[in-house]
Amino acid sequence: MTLIRKIFLISFSIFSISCSNQSVKEISVGDIKMDSFSSSVEDLITSKEYLKSEIMKINAASPSIQRILNSSDEFWSKGDLKSTNSELERALRLSKTESAVYLRLAHLRFEQGLIIESKSFSSRGLMNKTISSWESFLFNIYQELE
Amino acid sequence: MKRKKIILASFFGLITASIVIMLAYLELLSDRVEEKLDGILWTVPAKVYSRPLEIAEGYSVKPQYIQKELELLSYSKKRNPEDPGEFHFEKGRLDIYLRGYEDQKPGLFKVFFNGGEVSSIKRSDGISVDLISIEPLSIGGIFPSHMQDRILLNWSQVPKELIEILVLVEDKNFFEHSGISPTSIFRALIKNTISLSKQEGGSTITQQLAKSLFFSPEKTYTRKIKEAFASLLIEENYSKQEILLAYINDVFISQSGRRAIHGFELGAQHFFGTSLKNLDIDQLSLLVGMLKGPSRYNPRRNPNRAKERRDLVLRVLKDSDFITLKDYERFIEKPLSIIKPSFRSQSKHPTFSDLVTIDLRSNFKDKDLRTRGLKVYTNMDPVIQLYLETSISNTKIELIKKYGQELEDIEMAAIVIDSLSGEIQAAVGSSNPREFGFNRVLNASRPVGSLIKPWIYLTALNNYKDFNLMTPLNDSILELEMPNGDIWAPKNFDMDYHGNVPLHMALWKSYNIATARLGISLGHQEIQATLDSLKIKKRLRGYPSEFIGSFELTPIEVIQAYQPIASKGFYSSLRAVRKVSGPTGNFNLSFPYSIEQVLRPEPLHLLRFSLKKTFEIGTARGYSENRIRSWNVGGKTGTSDDQRDSWFVGYAGEYLVLIWSGFDDNRKTPLTGRSGSLQVWKSFIEKVDPLSAKTSIPQRINYQWVDKEDGNLSGKRCKNSILVPYINGTEPQDIPNLRKNCRTKNDIFSRDKLNNFLEDVNL
Repeated sequence: MTLIRKIFLISFSIFSISCSNQSVKEISVGDIKMDSFSSSVEDLITSKEYLKSEIMKINAASPSIQRILNSSDEFWSKGDLKSTNSELERALRLSKTESAVYLRLAHLRFEQGLIIESKSFSSRGLMNKTISSWESFLFNIYQELE
Repeated sequence: MKRKKIILASFFGLITASIVIMLAYLELLSDRVEEKLDGILWTVPAKVYSRPLEIAEGYSVKPQYIQKELELLSYSKKRNPEDPGEFHFEKGRLDIYLRGYEDQKPGLFKVFFNGGEVSSIKRSDGISVDLISIEPLSIGGIFPSHMQDRILLNWSQVPKELIEILVLVEDKNFFEHSGISPTSIFRALIKNTISLSKQEGGSTITQQLAKSLFFSPEKTYTRKIKEAFASLLIEENYSKQEILLAYINDVFISQSGRRAIHGFELGAQHFFGTSLKNLDIDQLSLLVGMLKGPSRYNPRRNPNRAKERRDLVLRVLKDSDFITLKDYERFIEKPLSIIKPSFRSQSKHPTFSDLVTIDLRSNFKDKDLRTRGLKVYTNMDPVIQLYLETSISNTKIELIKKYGQELEDIEMAAIVIDSLSGEIQAAVGSSNPREFGFNRVLNASRPVGSLIKPWIYLTALNNYKDFNLMTPLNDSILELEMPNGDIWAPKNFDMDYHGNVPLHMALWKSYNIATARLGISLGHQEIQATLDSLKIKKRLRGYPSEFIGSFELTPIEVIQAYQPIASKGFYSSLRAVRKVSGPTGNFNLSFPYSIEQVLRPEPLHLLRFSLKKTFEIGTARGYSENRIRSWNVGGKTGTSDDQRDSWFVGYAGEYLVLIWSGFDDNRKTPLTGRSGSLQVWKSFIEKVDPLSAKTSIPQRINYQWVDKEDGNLSGKRCKNSILVPYINGTEPQDIPNLRKNCRTKNDIFSRDKLNNFLEDVNL
C-alpha cells in the first residue's frame, strides 16, 4: 500500500513538473521566421491602417491612463492629430511606463512622417520593464522603418 | 442794413460751422464706439500659467507636495470643505473642494493615498473617478504699457444670475431706456443741487460703459453731455445684449499694484481664484457691489465695508424676489472667502519668464503677446520652483556662515527639468531668486570644469572594443609642449599622481591627468562627435586643456547636453512652454514633445554606473545606500581653474538638476563643486525626495565580479572584488588561480537573475 502510494506520488510529481514546464515555456514572436507568419501578421507589417488598429487595441494597465487614451483615440479617429498628441503627452506625464502610450506615440509620429521620432519612441518603449512579447513585436515594427 | 446782413451771415455761418463740427464730432465718436465695441481696441495681455496638476488613480505623488501646491493656489484648510477652494488632509486622505478648470467641474473629491500612490479618488456621492485636475497657478502676464488686464467672455459664458443682479442693482430700466434715463438724471440733479456736490451720477449701464471706454473719471457736466451723446450712439448701433456684454468685459473692478483689473471674469479670478461661472450669488453680489467704489469696497483692504456693501446688494435681491428670505439669511452669514493675491504684474520668477519669452518669440509678435489675450501654459511646476528658490537662498546663507562675508555677492544659476521630456520645471538665474537683471541660466558662459569629463568617457566607452570600465588609465605626470613653447602640465585636485587607475574610478574620482591623457588619445574629432550627438552647438577649439574643463558653456547648454544621459540616451529639446491658446480657445499652438535616440544604451549604461559611484564613494558621497538606490541617482561635480566656478549636475528619479555658483567678475571662490553647488542640489533634492523611475537593463549588458585592481574575473566572496557591467563580448576571460576557489556558480549572472538583481542595482 505504501509502495503504491509512493509510486502514485512520484508519477503525479513528474506529471505536474512536466505540465508546469510547458506552461512556463513562452513562444517569442522574434523566434518565428518571416515565412511562418500568418497573413494577419504580414498585414501588420505592410498595412499602416491595420497596424494602427492593432496599436489601438493595446490598453494601458492603469484605468486613469486608459481613460486618457480613450480620449486620444477619439481625437485620432477624427483626424485631430494635435489633440491626440496633447492627450498622449498628458498620459506620459502621469506614467512613463505604459507601453500603450509609447506605441501610440510611435505610430502617431509615423503617421506624421517623423520616422526618427517614431523609431525613438519605440526604442524608449522597448526599455520598459514590463513589456509583453506582443508589445515588443509591435515596437520592433517601428524599428524597421525606413 | 449791410451790418445787419453781416451779423446775420456770421450767425448762420457760426451755426453751420457748429453743426458741421458737431456732426464731425459725432462721426468721430461713432467710429470710436464701433472700433472699441467691435473689439479692435481692446487690449488683453497674455496670461502665463504654471502646469495644471493632475492627480490620477495609481499616480505616484506625495501628499505634502499636493498640500504645498494647494497653499500656492490659495486653497484654505477647512475641516469639512464645503466651498470651492477648501481642503483638508488627514491620515492618507485629502478632501478637496475643487474650483474647476477647463473640463474639470468644481466639486468635493476625496483622494486616498497608500504607499506613495493615489489608491482611489471618489466624488462626494461615493462614485469613483480616475482623475482630477487642479487649476494651474497664474504666474504672470505680458502687458501693454497701460497695464489694463482683462479676460473677455462671450455671451454664452456670462452667468444669467450676474445679468439679473447687475440690472437690479445698477440700472433697473436697462432693457427699456435708449441709453440715458431722464428720470435718473433728474433725480441726481436734484440731489446734487441740494447737497451742492456732484455725488450722484444717475448713469445707466450704457452711460457707464461710454464713460469707461472714452472719457476721464472726472465728474463734470460737459463730460456728462459727451457721455450722453456716446450712449445714444451706442444704443443706436448695438443691441442690449452686446452693450451688456461689453460692460461685463470692460468695467473697472480693482487696482492690483500697477495692474488694473477690468471685467467680471478677471475680477472673479482675482478675488476668488476661480472662473465667474463657478461663483455663487453672494460672490457675484460682492463683485457687483464693488462697482460703486472699487477702492472703497475692495474686500482685501476694507473687508468690513465690502461685506456691508455685499449684504446691501443681497437685500436688494431679496426685496426684488430674486432670492428667497432663506437664501438671503444663508448668504449674509457667509464670509467673503477672498483668496490671497497670487498674481503679480511683474513675474515673481524672472528667469523662468525669460525662458517663456524665448519660446514665444519664435512664434508670436511682441504686440500680439501684449494685446491678443493669449493664454500661455508653461511647464513650470510651482512647488519645484519654490523648493529650488528656497534651496538657493538657504544654501547661500549657510555658505556665508561657513566662508564669511566674502560670499555675500556669490551668484548662482539653477535649472530643473523632467529628464525624459525636457520640460523645464523650474529655473533661477540669481542667488536672489526673485531679482530681475542678468539671467545667468541663459547668459553666463563659464568654463564647465569636470562636467566635460562624462562626455569624454562616453566617447571612450562607445569604442567598446578598446575601452571598458576596468581599462587602466594612466594618471602619472603629463607635460605637453604647446605650439608657443609653453609647457602644459595638468594637475589633479589633490595635487597627487595615482599611476594606473580603472577607467570608472578615474571618472568618479575626477582625475584630471588620466582624463587629459584619455582625451588626447581619443582626439578632439572623436570627442567633438560626442558633443555633436548631444547637440552642443559650441565647438571645441582643439586645446588639451578643454578636456579638463576650460570649455565654456552656459547652464542651459550644459543641462541640455546632460539630458540624454539622464533619459537613457534620448534627446529632447528643453521647453518652458507647453501650449498657447487663443482667448476663446479659437486656436491652440502646442510645443510638442519630440525625442531622438542619440546615445547607444550599452555605453551609456556603463557611464551611468560610474556617475552613480560619484554618490556612493566619489565627490558627491554622503547618502545612504537606500537613498542612492531609491532615487536612482547619478551626477558629476565640476570645479574650474582656481575654483572660479562650482558646478553640480545630477539626476534623481525623473528630475535632472543643474547648479552653478561663482562670482560675476570671475574672481576666485573658496568653493569646489562639492562644497558649493552640490550643497544647493542636496538641499533641493531632499525637499523633493523623488520617487524612483525604474527601467530595464539593455539586452547586451552583463555583470561580472572582477578584481578592483587587475580587472580579471573574481567572485563576490573574493577580496577586492567589484561587480561591474560589461557590454557582451567585452568581459574579462581569465580567472587567476588564487580566485578559482572564491568564485562560485552564483557569481555568474543569467538574464533572469540579472533582472532580479537589477531591481537592487537600478541603473
